[in-house]
Amino acid sequence: MEEQSRNVWIKQDDPKLVSSRHKDIFEDILEDRRHSSDVGWCLRTRDVPTYKNNKTRTIGQIKEHVLASDRVKYAVEQVCMESGLPTDEVWGQTKEILEEMSHNLKLGAIRGFAVFLVKVLKALFKRIYVNEEGIQKVRAMIKEYPILLTPSHRSYFDFLLMSFVFYHYDLPLPVIAAAMDFMGMKFFGWLLRNSGAFYIRRSFGDDQLYWAVFTEYVQTQICNSDHPLEFYVEGTRSRTAKSYCPKFGMLSASLEPYFKAHIPDIMVIPVSISYDKILEEKLYAYELLGVPKPKESTSALFKARNILSEDFGNVHIHFGDPLSIREYSVGKVDRSIHNLAPRYIASLSAQETDLLKSLAYDIVLLHLKHMVISPWSLTAAVMVQNKEGISMRQLVREVEWLKRHALNLGAYIDWPGNESSDTVVRSTLQLHKNIVAINKEDVIELISMDVPSHVSEDQLMQSAAQHLMLSIYRNQLMHIFVRVAMVSLTINACTQDTLPLDDLYNKYVFLEHLLNRDFIFHPEHTKLDFEHSLLTLTHNCGVVIKDDCILIKSSTNKYTTFFSQMFEPFLLGYWIMCRCLLSSHIDVHGKPKAKPPKVITKEAQMLSARLLREGAIKHLEVLSLDILSNGLHALHHMNAVSKEKRDGQAYMYPNAIVLTNVCEQLEKFLDVPQIPMTSILVESKTVVINAKL
Amino acid sequence: MAGKQRLSVIKQHIRANTNAPARTDEIQVSCSNCSSTDDGKVSFQSEAPTIPKRRQELLKWNGWGYKDSKFNLNKDGQVEFGGERYRLSGQTMPQLREWMTATVGISLDHKTPAQPELTAKDIPAPVKNEEFISELRKKAIPFTDDCQDRLFRAHGHTLHEVFVLREGIFKRIPDLVVWPNSHNDCVKIVNLACQHNVVLIPFGGGTTVSGAVECPEGETRMIVSLDTSQMNKILWVDEKNMIAKCEAGIIGQDLERRLAEKGFCTGHEPDSMEFSSLGGWVATRASGMKKNIYGNIEDLVVHIKFVTPKGVMEKSCQVPRISSGLDIHHFMMGSEGTLGVVTEVAIKVRPLPECKKYGSIVFPEFENGVACLREVAKQRCAPASIRLMDNQQFQFGSALKPESGSILTSFVDGIKKFYITKLKGFDPKKLSVATLLFEGTQQEVAAQEKRVYEIASKFGGLAAGADNGERGYMLTFVIAYLRDLGFEYYIVAESFETSVPWDRCLDLCNNVKDRLDRECKKRAIQFPPYITCRVTQTYDAGACVYFYFGFNYRGLSNPVQIYEDIENCAREEILANGGSISHHHGVGKLRKRYLKQTVGDIGLGTMRAIKNFIDPDNIFGNDNLMIGEPKL
Repeated sequence: MEEQSRNVWIKQDDPKLVSSRHKDIFEDILEDRRHSSDVGWCLRTRDVPTYKNNKTRTIGQIKEHVLASDRVKYAVEQVCMESGLPTDEVWGQTKEILEEMSHNLKLGAIRGFAVFLVKVLKALFKRIYVNEEGIQKVRAMIKEYPILLTPSHRSYFDFLLMSFVFYHYDLPLPVIAAAMDFMGMKFFGWLLRNSGAFYIRRSFGDDQLYWAVFTEYVQTQICNSDHPLEFYVEGTRSRTAKSYCPKFGMLSASLEPYFKAHIPDIMVIPVSISYDKILEEKLYAYELLGVPKPKESTSALFKARNILSEDFGNVHIHFGDPLSIREYSVGKVDRSIHNLAPRYIASLSAQETDLLKSLAYDIVLLHLKHMVISPWSLTAAVMVQNKEGISMRQLVREVEWLKRHALNLGAYIDWPGNESSDTVVRSTLQLHKNIVAINKEDVIELISMDVPSHVSEDQLMQSAAQHLMLSIYRNQLMHIFVRVAMVSLTINACTQDTLPLDDLYNKYVFLEHLLNRDFIFHPEHTKLDFEHSLLTLTHNCGVVIKDDCILIKSSTNKYTTFFSQMFEPFLLGYWIMCRCLLSSHIDVHGKPKAKPPKVITKEAQMLSARLLREGAIKHLEVLSLDILSNGLHALHHMNAVSKEKRDGQAYMYPNAIVLTNVCEQLEKFLDVPQIPMTSILVESKTVVINAKL
Repeated sequence: MAGKQRLSVIKQHIRANTNAPARTDEIQVSCSNCSSTDDGKVSFQSEAPTIPKRRQELLKWNGWGYKDSKFNLNKDGQVEFGGERYRLSGQTMPQLREWMTATVGISLDHKTPAQPELTAKDIPAPVKNEEFISELRKKAIPFTDDCQDRLFRAHGHTLHEVFVLREGIFKRIPDLVVWPNSHNDCVKIVNLACQHNVVLIPFGGGTTVSGAVECPEGETRMIVSLDTSQMNKILWVDEKNMIAKCEAGIIGQDLERRLAEKGFCTGHEPDSMEFSSLGGWVATRASGMKKNIYGNIEDLVVHIKFVTPKGVMEKSCQVPRISSGLDIHHFMMGSEGTLGVVTEVAIKVRPLPECKKYGSIVFPEFENGVACLREVAKQRCAPASIRLMDNQQFQFGSALKPESGSILTSFVDGIKKFYITKLKGFDPKKLSVATLLFEGTQQEVAAQEKRVYEIASKFGGLAAGADNGERGYMLTFVIAYLRDLGFEYYIVAESFETSVPWDRCLDLCNNVKDRLDRECKKRAIQFPPYITCRVTQTYDAGACVYFYFGFNYRGLSNPVQIYEDIENCAREEILANGGSISHHHGVGKLRKRYLKQTVGDIGLGTMRAIKNFIDPDNIFGNDNLMIGEPKL
């Protein structure tokens, strides 16, 4: 008889061995594709689940339905009445709108596209991880209720990956609400349309006819659940790897059929897509500095083929639990309010609109919750605060420290358990060798970027672009720390010995208002968020509370300092925006000059550049138009900036008293450079005297 | 022919009645109005009501309908319907058992028999107002405090009530039952009740499914059940104006049978017509199956005599229509016993139709059927009755098919099935059936048939014969009996209904079904629930939808509570889908919580103001509708 091993039931007797195909809750779906025929995979028969009340329809029938619908008929009548145009002409317009909009999902085209796509994906990514359990839930739900897929949006690859995953798991392919920009692309425009993309205009405010066709087109597909419907709640691709504030239009159009009781429920599935390395990183960096994005064209995409030789690491796709709109709205809305008018006429109630806003925020917060944080994000966060370079030993120590706190705050970090921290950090540095390099002394430094021809030779912009690329990755974990940082910032800025909790909360609220565009805060959770953050800080980070007061001396420590410093660039950016607005505040007619937001942002950027050149400030990030523009909009929401419409365009002007107040409050959180009372107006180069208030 | 069948049923009723022993405390009253006159009025002899005073001698004490009629499992384990009253009586239904096993998971090994009949010791002792009783005795109005009589009038037929009868006892039941013989008796009783602060709960046929006759548990005064069953006379029929004046206690089958003897009918046929009374119809705003020809109760009623604590409320004329401010008839109709008691009603009558014919249409799916019914309503060519069953109900109907008498019938069935499923491509798991009842002259019926079938064919419907139609209507009568069989095997079931605008009809059906299913899952009901619906009435602006819902509660300890919670979810869903609180069952106590949402604060306040004026001492204190705060 053979000698039995220690544990016969263990196949691989090596505790260090970790499967990379199955990693925690994730499964790599590229693995199979690397070992069997792609063509066979693309041509195989797919056994797809369908919605229980679905009636099979062709694309033509969907269009017929839209044109015959009460809603569209009603809109056409209204338009005829208001515009005096002949009915035929309005119907002609209606059909044009519909043709422009509709997708043309064809399995044939998809299969062809899939062969191409899978090869690209294999070339770009090491692994594509999907949480299989999430997929099983989607599969079960598809049969029961209509499905809305709401992925996060940080790369063009998001919707390709979504369709790929659905194709892989034999799920019905989603139809995707895409912005018009894509339609202009010759071949890809066509291909995407045939793969299920339908095109909607970015804004169509008052166009009644467009609104009717769009609403009916979307809603009929939801009610019959011809396909799962996919769209981005953030509205557009995030250039900063942070989530954008949600938009509500598409969400409310899609969920209206539930409120109007056309269907029993709708399942919203938030999907978080995390990239180790974002394909558009360089493009984004320049865009944030104000170099315009190249118009999407086929040739640009082909040029992008150069990147096929690069390695973009792993992608993690997390399908969240299906969120039932029925359960979400229990006790919050009264659907019977729609009983007294035909369902195609009346709009949603205020209750319902509020609910949708809250839901939109929850979806984005769920995205964030299930984002997979890569070791590189941690590394980037440390690097941002050590731009001059940091030794490998120090870096690893800092990354480990940050990792521990991120985990304590609920982050999911993709950290292999069987590797040493040193190995992990080194391999992540290797993946991002276009941004950082290890020199001979084992010190890690930023690499200066090779400059594209259309960027000015300005040294400042060059290093800024390089720095912004790094900050994009740091941004991936900012949402984890933002709340504790808001408390930390207040503690660190406090000049007294003790700080009453009420004051702390007031400051927290102030900071939340300011940061509200750069980070996602649920509008109804301020108090709760505050309390949780305070708890975290007292449990883990040495913050001391006595008699409902913070003891400042013992509470100002490495933790609060690090967290505060993480967010300094944002506050500094806002401060620059404030100063820029204040400097232009006097006008001959007694009212500050109103300017389009873009112009104001650009001016603020010039002020940032000046301050940087003068060495008054160090954070290159304040050159980011995104931060400055978010600051401007936050100020608008705080009533420090007013908005008016001129020629249908938004114009903004400061509200000096409120703005000065905000600015003064901001200065308490920051070491700001002294800007002389007399400052040079960046635009006109004329000297003005700042108002004394 | 249906007419014949109906008559034979009626004959059996008469026979059953003559067998009933006469009660000694009954007082024979002769009617002064019943002498014949020559001004076009047709007179009627007075007759004892079909249902005797001691109702429990003829009717089940803890279930639906006649004692002799019930579903049983025979010695071969087949389901059989007992008695001789109905066409289904004495028949076995070979597919029914399998259907019950397959759809709701009934197992013959798991039985839940009812408790034995309750006796005096089990029943709460009556609260006695001696002065009231002695005055009543002086006025020679018959009454009893017999415990079985009191128990029988303590309930209607909601799931909760029948379940209490099978498993326990009501906390509060009427303390006395009085049998007025006329309007004047009612006036006397109401006066006495006011004098002695005694609660009156009018009782007609006891078929309520809204908890309307249940006694409020907290009531400490003596509760008297005002049983109108002895007020069953047809006072006269006025042929010139085609009106019958009847006492309100007459029950549907007696009214139609006796009118038929003289060649008339009211055409009001609610599904409960074997037992429910004219006064009950008025008090609950009843609706009849054939309302398309004859109208609902509000269309049929010409005059109402209504006894309230403040006195008798009635109009001074008996006219086809009137503009006289707020219509007092509309306080009485739907008052559900909270304002007074209906004593006499003048109701429209029609000559008996010459021809009656059933029919049916098969649709590939429920959706086509709804569209067809909508079109029929739009063209206003609905026959006397048109109902659309969904697939689940169609399958139930098929399972009810009795063992066929001849081989030929089943052969023909086979051909039909082959034709519909194979040649026309209908999916037996999806198809839906409309049942039709035509009435009128031969020509009218022929013309109606042609028109309806033509419309049906536009929506993919195929005419499927009279048999299927008739079976559909039979199902309505029988489904109430079937619930009692279900009770024996861990099944709780109930129906509820609503009215809904056409554009929301289909969505409402789908959404409510989904909601029911979902709520069952949420409550860990182990077996698939039975959920089905039918569209039972069509109107210009909408339809009436009937749901039937039941489930197997094996493994759960509080089935009635669970059932009620789920039905409440369904009602919420109905309201959110644009449906109403009720089409014809009424509010009672069961649906009180939805009344405010339905009529608003002002509406509710107005109702309460009327109540406070008419009945400030809450003599008609059955606690229905707007009285008190709704119990949640």
